[in-house]
Amino acid sequence: MEPAVHTRGLRRTYTRRRRATVVALDDLTLTVAQNEIHGLLGPNGAGKTTLVEILSTVLLPSAGTARVLGRDVVADAGAVRSLVGLVLGGDRGLYDRLTARRNLLFWGALYRLDGRTARARADALLERVGLGDRAGDPVEGFSRGMRQRLHLARGLLHEPRVLFLDEPTSGLDPVAAAAFRGLVRDLRAEGRTFLLATHDMDEAAALCDRVTLIDRGRMLLTGDPASAGRFLGDGECVDLDDPGPALTGPLELLPGVTGVEHRDGGALRVHTAGRDATRRVLAWLLDRDVLTARRGRPTLEEVYLRAIGDRGMRV
Amino acid sequence: MSALRLLWQAVRLQAALSRRSPEHALVLLIAPMQTTTLLALTLAAHRADVVANAVLAPGLIGLWVASLDYAGRIVTEDRWAGRFAALIAAPVPFGLVVAGRVATVVLVGTAAFAESWLVAALGFGRPLTVAEPGTFAIAVAVTCLAAIGTATLLSAVFVVSRARDVLQNSLGYPFYILGGILVPVAALPGWLHPFSRVVFLSWSADLLRGAVHGDTRGWPWAVLAVLALSAASMAAGLWLTRRYVDRTRREGTVGFS
Repeated sequence: MEPAVHTRGLRRTYTRRRRATVVALDDLTLTVAQNEIHGLLGPNGAGKTTLVEILSTVLLPSAGTARVLGRDVVADAGAVRSLVGLVLGGDRGLYDRLTARRNLLFWGALYRLDGRTARARADALLERVGLGDRAGDPVEGFSRGMRQRLHLARGLLHEPRVLFLDEPTSGLDPVAAAAFRGLVRDLRAEGRTFLLATHDMDEAAALCDRVTLIDRGRMLLTGDPASAGRFLGDGECVDLDDPGPALTGPLELLPGVTGVEHRDGGALRVHTAGRDATRRVLAWLLDRDVLTARRGRPTLEEVYLRAIGDRGMRV
Repeated sequence: MSALRLLWQAVRLQAALSRRSPEHALVLLIAPMQTTTLLALTLAAHRADVVANAVLAPGLIGLWVASLDYAGRIVTEDRWAGRFAALIAAPVPFGLVVAGRVATVVLVGTAAFAESWLVAALGFGRPLTVAEPGTFAIAVAVTCLAAIGTATLLSAVFVVSRARDVLQNSLGYPFYILGGILVPVAALPGWLHPFSRVVFLSWSADLLRGAVHGDTRGWPWAVLAVLALSAASMAAGLWLTRRYVDRTRREGTVGFS
């Protein structure tokens, strides 16, 4: 089966003022299987949106190739456009003075839906994203979260096989974000593929089959979220709930302990060099009647922070 | 879906938008005032022979204002509102969507003709009688087509240009003169005539006034000239829109506004 998305050596540069060249994507090779939910992680300016824009044909690559379901995004852009749905996050991008339903009907026409089909799908999708009661209201009165849901409905209107979502839950409250994730899972069960650009590590860990971390246009890692910790080597960790100061000092001196991290509520995370060191730490704790220790691997967020580094607000 | 169906959907979108955009009706508020001013001046000067000019001019001005000020902004507004990326990601030509929307705005502008006639008839007791109604109807129809073509071209020019506001503000009065709206082209200096004849309004104004007075010698040629200018401006508008879309995809400026 051909992959939903396949890029090879994809590169995109921008020429800015004074002819300075900025590399947004650099030699990116990525494969997303059909029916996969693939997370695209990275800081601001990493190249996530650039990749989404190239795959949805609104941006041309400078070099390399990109294919969606076997179709080249440059040579066969018309076919690709019918196969993909683009969901850009944010407050903008809709006709604010029109109702939610009227917005969807117009976008349905742009995807060559006949009037009857567009009306049926618009109503069904508005119900599905929780806007059924507001279908006849102008969008200008919608909250950011409601607009996000309408963006999603718009992206789904022509029933695309591959969906590109750029920060889709930005601005959603936790309940709505959870509902959104449920909706994505349901849509995946219908056979769709998702490429999800996000900053939300919890969302990526909870939703994605695989994630790709990119920074400055280059891929740093790709794999399933649970094993992304391998990026940091064989390191593991042991979590403790409030072990008290008497244990903290000696723990740091145990062989194989690479660090001790103090967390909220007095909790402690002990980083170890690997499995043997973890075993030694757990045995040492057991000898001291500490029975609540948990073995783990670095979370996706820790991997992200370690990979991207201490960049602060810089992009 | 055929191009016509897409155009129709764009017309419906713009109709819904215009209903909720009070500023689009501004041209219909101004036309009666312009008619009143021009008719009052004409009658005070005892120039019954140019009453037709005074009544037709606000209609043509309304059409031009609708093309220039409202239709011309369509692509630019889509960019500012962050809709452009999603619009060009759709599998239909963006230019056709623009043309359909432009057509709606221009057709709203044609209501200025009816308003001017009503002001003359009800306000001044001077109903304008049309000697050749058939020719008049044809002239109005081809004028609307030419306005749609020109507005499609303007919307592309404005979005390409970095000086959109300057262009928009400066293209009013020169076209009223070159278009023979306020005074017939024949009354302008001879060296202006060649420039005037590439502006569809000059042919339209002559046709409309001729139909009112029953003096439409050579009208088929004038209609052909308006249609040719209409087709040329529409083709140029669609070409320029396409080039603009291709350029933004190439330069990576789709998301910029």
